[in-house]
Amino acid sequence: MAQHGTVKVPDGKLVSVSLTANDRITSVRVTGDFFLEPPEARPHLERAIEGHPVDVDAATLREAIADVDARLIGFEARDLAAATMEAIA
Amino acid sequence: MTLRVITDGTYSEPVQQALERVLADKVAAGDIGPTLRVWYRDAPAVPIGRFQSYEDEVATDYVERHDIDVVRRATGGGAMYVEPGAVLTYSLYLPPEDVPDDVADSYVYLDQWAIDALQAVGIDASYEPLNDIVHADGKLGGAAQLRTDGAVLHHTTMSYDLDIERMLRVLRIGEEKLSDKAVASAEKRVAVMTDHTDASRATIVDALVAAIGDTFETRRGSLSAATREAARTLAAEQFDTAAWTRKL
Repeated sequence: MAQHGTVKVPDGKLVSVSLTANDRITSVRVTGDFFLEPPEARPHLERAIEGHPVDVDAATLREAIADVDARLIGFEARDLAAATMEAIA
Repeated sequence: MTLRVITDGTYSEPVQQALERVLADKVAAGDIGPTLRVWYRDAPAVPIGRFQSYEDEVATDYVERHDIDVVRRATGGGAMYVEPGAVLTYSLYLPPEDVPDDVADSYVYLDQWAIDALQAVGIDASYEPLNDIVHADGKLGGAAQLRTDGAVLHHTTMSYDLDIERMLRVLRIGEEKLSDKAVASAEKRVAVMTDHTDASRATIVDALVAAIGDTFETRRGSLSAATREAARTLAAEQFDTAAWTRKL
């Protein structure tokens, strides 16, 4: 079953994550009112979150997200990591 | 730069959103120069941000019952409810070299002339980073950008006389925002120009065109028949399809 996490960035955007968490994180979907350049990078953010064990720590997620070659506008890698942590909690 | 200013042409929301892509691509290809377009819509609609979830943002039963077009934009940002004559939308299509590289700086730069125009008709508007135009009463409007290899698309929508009650029926407000009372109240605080000016919408369009002429060299223009046709084709293939608008 899909689990959800949402972070409202202070003075920024809303970032939502839905995912499936069994042993590992799968089926990630990232949505929100943020900006992303290039826009085609959104699935790459999802792939960066997928595959981690469900007891992953926030710093590992943040680093994996930050490795994606994209400009995050209105949110940061740590916000998307925090929304993911909420979803797997 | 000399900006071509287009203030004619009424289109459906899918064609409007398709025009954004077509015109940005024409700037990138060097087919057209820097262009400003003022929009005229033919029906109420809900443009949603490129990365938003259709189900999360739109009261789906309400928009289906009332036949309101929902269209996913090429740009990020938030969902809006728009009605012909009740909002003002304009777009800028520019080569990247005409736009500040810093994103936050570029938003202010590309909307400051519009704030000057609002000031000229007595509306005390200001910019609130990243992408909001605000009044002491609330949010008047917002901007969104898409940066491609060879072009920057910047479009801005402001409320002239929007039916806020209807807007709140059409849009769902994110649960996270509702759980944060301060944010929820800010979200609901939408300002409309007609509370602050007697100027007609047409007068404000004239003020916008005058203000952009004070900031940049301008000349008048119109969309070519080929551009309109390309937008209709792209709307049919992409922006007017459920596969695009409901993909998230």
